[in-house]
Amino acid sequence: MQTFQIRYRNTQGTLMRILNAAVRRGIELQSVQAGIADQDHRVTLLLQVTQKQARQLYREWYSVADVTDVGYGAVQHGHGDDGNVWSSVHPPAPEALTELSAYTSLTPR
Amino acid sequence: MLSGAQIVLWCLEAEGVDLVFGYPGGAIMPLYDALDSSGVRHILTRHEQGAVFSAEGYARVTGKVGVAIATSGPGATNLVTGIADAKMDSVPLVCITGQVRSPLIGSDAFQETDVFGMTLSLTKWSRMVRTLDEIQAVIAEGFHWARSGRPGPVVIDIPTDILKAKKKFSGPVEFRPHATPWNAKADGGFTDTIVAMLQQAKRPVALVGAGAKLSGAIPHLRQLLDELNIPTFATLHGLGAVPPASPYYLGMVGMHGTRAANMALHDTDLLLVFGARLDDRVTGEPTRFAPHAKIVHFEIDPGQLDRVRPCDLPVIGNLAETIPTFQRELQRPSLPQWNEWRAVACARERTQDDPRGLAQPTIRFLDELFKRLPQNSVVIADVGQHQMWAAQRCRSSSPRGFITSGGLGAMGFALPAAVGAQLAQPESCVLCLSGDGGFQMNIQELATVHRLGLPIKMVIIDNKHLGMVRQWQQLFYQRNYAETDLSDNPDFVEIAKAYKIHAWRLNEAAMLEQPVAAETGEAIDSFLRSPQAELLVFDCHPEANVYPMVPAGAALSEMMFADE
Repeated sequence: MQTFQIRYRNTQGTLMRILNAAVRRGIELQSVQAGIADQDHRVTLLLQVTQKQARQLYREWYSVADVTDVGYGAVQHGHGDDGNVWSSVHPPAPEALTELSAYTSLTPR
Repeated sequence: MLSGAQIVLWCLEAEGVDLVFGYPGGAIMPLYDALDSSGVRHILTRHEQGAVFSAEGYARVTGKVGVAIATSGPGATNLVTGIADAKMDSVPLVCITGQVRSPLIGSDAFQETDVFGMTLSLTKWSRMVRTLDEIQAVIAEGFHWARSGRPGPVVIDIPTDILKAKKKFSGPVEFRPHATPWNAKADGGFTDTIVAMLQQAKRPVALVGAGAKLSGAIPHLRQLLDELNIPTFATLHGLGAVPPASPYYLGMVGMHGTRAANMALHDTDLLLVFGARLDDRVTGEPTRFAPHAKIVHFEIDPGQLDRVRPCDLPVIGNLAETIPTFQRELQRPSLPQWNEWRAVACARERTQDDPRGLAQPTIRFLDELFKRLPQNSVVIADVGQHQMWAAQRCRSSSPRGFITSGGLGAMGFALPAAVGAQLAQPESCVLCLSGDGGFQMNIQELATVHRLGLPIKMVIIDNKHLGMVRQWQQLFYQRNYAETDLSDNPDFVEIAKAYKIHAWRLNEAAMLEQPVAAETGEAIDSFLRSPQAELLVFDCHPEANVYPMVPAGAALSEMMFADE
């Protein structure tokens, strides 16, 4: 199981777009918790996904217009704040060449 | 005081829109009622799918946002295929739909559909307008998302009571986007890594997709490729990005790509991808795609990375920034020449067209057609065998000179898209290529062509079958030709005449002698240069097939050729 935390602006349809990224891949939504978090909203998802699916989801969520941050970790219980949530602002590096500085071109605003 | 409908039109003008495509109906009537008082020209198509494909055609040739308008319910559902097409092919599109009155929403009222929910997964962004005060901000934001980053479709659904309501109008507003969580800063940090990879590479290649064209990076990309001088090929949507005469250019890659391109992609040890999704039609069997290669992927949309196979070095950002940065820093180090590899990849035995394919009358016909096309022509292909033949034979060096529905593969695209393209470029020769199946899917747009007096040159490659499906049935379904026979097609020449469009027929026998008879060549010339709309029906052998072909589940190196 993987826990994903996605922060988003609560505009029309944004939560549905986030959920649909998983549903369209045939991934069951084991658990969904959404609510206000600071000035934004946050949804925490518990999903059974492969590494490939995790990478695809991560990047697809970043492509959603009002998503502001995505994090994940391999947390199986108490999914949420205490998990090993990845805090990088970048999409996850592929496994093959993680030592290469592929993201040196990317800087957070 | 302005009505919501008048404010919508005001905002469209503020976004630079002068042309919209649509079809009226109950819920959208207030907008149509206000059209007369605006500077927006409306093109009435004969079906909402015609409207949305026309808007796409306009957007694809201009790079501007295309706008389609429809009413609620069936009007909105008829837009859906075009919206999906725009999503797959990254076309900037705004669809405005009427909705039932606000108090009736959710009551299954007459002609009510949940167009917002229905198109959530197909749109880049969408909104249902809930108050009159929202209209300006929603339209401004919608246009921002349609044209920014990786372009795509937007749906704006407006209840009819909001279109009718009036308010004091303060003028359009400008949308200020929020900061995104990541931002590609083209500071060149990635170029050292790519240069190191290039220095180690023995067989580097470049693959160019639509993203290179959409970003406006073509001049820089062409310079970069000239400097690299490595074997280069294009996806279906990348055609025209690289001048076909470039000595290192190997043509289209993928399921119906050239032998040279597919072999080079199979053999490479370093693949530079410029703005391509690497979908299954390009990769063949994903687990056997470029099996020896490391992949460097220049891409604006992080959501497109790793879909088929993980890349080794993503360079995320607008190619109009990342390519010039790469090009600038590339000049410093000395790179290998790769002469030996280029000689192998560009060898005559790989690049030479299969003479059996060249002898096909349809290929000869397309060659005759394309070589006689005026400068700055736009070729629009529908979906099927003729589309692949056209992609193989059309050697346009214009980035927006070859247009087709590539990702979605929507039959019926070409004719309405040609309407939009011809309106966008009234001085250009717009050549619309269709099969007999696809042409009938939006044949009603002949009325639009006639009404507007558009000089579109329409060609139907008529094999009296759903040719591509028939080809798969022949090759992979033991010739079980289930429901692909269209031998009872109507007489397209007579149909065109009913729409007051001049039409004629050319039999493939005219292509058997080489060179073609002078009168045949002259007939094609006068067809292409006619000041009015023309339809040419080319009779094609029903068992003509598209080759090379990579069968489903095969690697790109495992191409089938004619008569194998």
